Amino acid sequence: MRPIGVLCLVAGWAVAVGGLFLTSATTGRTLIACLGIGISLFGSLGILNGYYLERAIWKK
Amino acid sequence: MQRKTLTRCVLLIALGAIGLFAGAAPVRALSADEAISGLTAPNTQEITDKGDPGAEKYGSANDVTMTDAKKGITLGDLANQAGQNKVAINFVWTLIAGFLVMFMQAGFALVETGLIRAKNANHTMMMNFMVYGLGLFAYWVCGFAIQMGGSAPIANLGGAYPLNHEFAVNLFGKPWGLFGTKGFFLSGATYDVAVMVLFLFQMVFMDTATTIVTGANAERWKYSAFAVSTIFLGALTYPLFGNWAWGGGWLSQLGANFGLGHGYCDFAGSGVVHAVGGLTALAVAMQLGPRIGKYNRNGSPNAIPGHDLVFVLTGCFILAFGWFGFNPGSTLGASGNGCLRIGSIAVNTMLAGCTGSFSALLYMWIRYGKPDASMAGNGLLAGLVAITAPSGFVNTLAACIIGWVAGILVCLSVEFFDRVAKVDDPVGAISVHGTNGLWGVLSVGLFADGRSNYGGSWNGVPGSVTGLFYGDAGQLVAQLIGIATLVGIIFTLSFLFNWIVDVVVGQRVGAKAELAGLDIPEMGALCYPDFQLKASDYNVGANISAPAIAKH
Repeated sequence: MRPIGVLCLVAGWAVAVGGLFLTSATTGRTLIACLGIGISLFGSLGILNGYYLERAIWKK
Repeated sequence: MQRKTLTRCVLLIALGAIGLFAGAAPVRALSADEAISGLTAPNTQEITDKGDPGAEKYGSANDVTMTDAKKGITLGDLANQAGQNKVAINFVWTLIAGFLVMFMQAGFALVETGLIRAKNANHTMMMNFMVYGLGLFAYWVCGFAIQMGGSAPIANLGGAYPLNHEFAVNLFGKPWGLFGTKGFFLSGATYDVAVMVLFLFQMVFMDTATTIVTGANAERWKYSAFAVSTIFLGALTYPLFGNWAWGGGWLSQLGANFGLGHGYCDFAGSGVVHAVGGLTALAVAMQLGPRIGKYNRNGSPNAIPGHDLVFVLTGCFILAFGWFGFNPGSTLGASGNGCLRIGSIAVNTMLAGCTGSFSALLYMWIRYGKPDASMAGNGLLAGLVAITAPSGFVNTLAACIIGWVAGILVCLSVEFFDRVAKVDDPVGAISVHGTNGLWGVLSVGLFADGRSNYGGSWNGVPGSVTGLFYGDAGQLVAQLIGIATLVGIIFTLSFLFNWIVDVVVGQRVGAKAELAGLDIPEMGALCYPDFQLKASDYNVGANISAPAIAKH
């Protein structure tokens, strides 16, 4: 799960920056950047944190 | 009527012109090396005999440095003295601001130590104490060069010209500055007075970022792992983002290269300092896991109160004081290039801190029935963190709004990490610095009012930084790209490196040490040897099985 989480994090950044090349419209760039941030946050708080929560000491 | 007025005007102009020609003396331009006649200076013998109690004689023509004493003071001497004075004012301003920021370490140490249990006080204080030395060393070796090695010219500091090389790659026809290459060990040409001033100021900023991590991971972080992690943050992670934002790197050039406002704008470091520190704190805290006793078997959290609220609130005051170095000092000067805006920046800083503490206090009072002291303190810090990036670009009303939102946001964020994400953060550092650091970055893209003018351009783009509410949506996009980079790249770098540390050194102390308190097992001495300390009594036996503790 950890590699997937890390991939998600970097992919989110790549989406946000890629938006600069995909469109020159400010609204489009804003939406794509927000999407990228969302993907990265899912990678960190969703996947990576989920991985560690499954192994948390209070669950043992 | 109109003809009458016109006639009067013509007459007045004619009379004025006659007067000018009659009274004006011939004006001759002086060459730079020509002595200026008629300059009178106080008699130094008079000062020697009588002193100058009224401060009327010091600071005169006597004090202008002359290149040729026989010739006297020339126009060139005066110009050089004026330039020297400007740079001197800016050096002194930047150094004093840096000293204030350095003192913030004491504030952080008090806040963090006050919010943890007494049995870990020595360990937490020593983490805060040593981030200074460890971070400084790493930053001197390579961090500063990576961050600022290509940042010249810095006009307010006289240029800092030796910092003149940025490593960049060309992608899609645009240069992407990645890191600086001048200033390793502050050697060679970077043995330069302007570079030294810049180093000191930037170093204490970096140290602020490293000390954020210690708070979120207190009471369970192995001291050796902390030391290695801090060195990495000071040597690489922080400097990289610092370069991209402040050192002429690719984020700062989003305006010039993609037409996104003035590129990523972060006046004093909501992103560069606080979000980097907060996100690194999150990456480590996730790997460390919560303290023993923080969560019950069903996942419900337990409150683990700190041991000294006096420490906490005194530390908050020290931090608020130091922030006057943090934000106004980020002009890197008080003279020239719009630096007189330092007054506005200082007031914005005060206001956001105040509204942050006020809104956090109100939130807790309404939601839980009591005005919570530690959250009021965190609200103050959240407001200060949030205003750090926009402080140089917004008006006072925006500062109040930014601070007010930050105070609410820190409460919501603490609840989210405590109850939903279940990331244990004993001091709320992730919420104060991470969440509100990102909010500060975003707020530049919303509230920048287009009235600041630091020498006519910012990040190489002419004009003033202007946010969405004042007509430039492109600035908001630049700020969002900055946030995406913080979350997508900086968090990832911190996560990966600290994962390596976990594998090689091990990040977390053993359960027995944690239950006993880290002062003896990790540091070899109690912080309060004469006090009767309680053993950990927060449902430890009830929520963790004995085999789990033994194995941990």
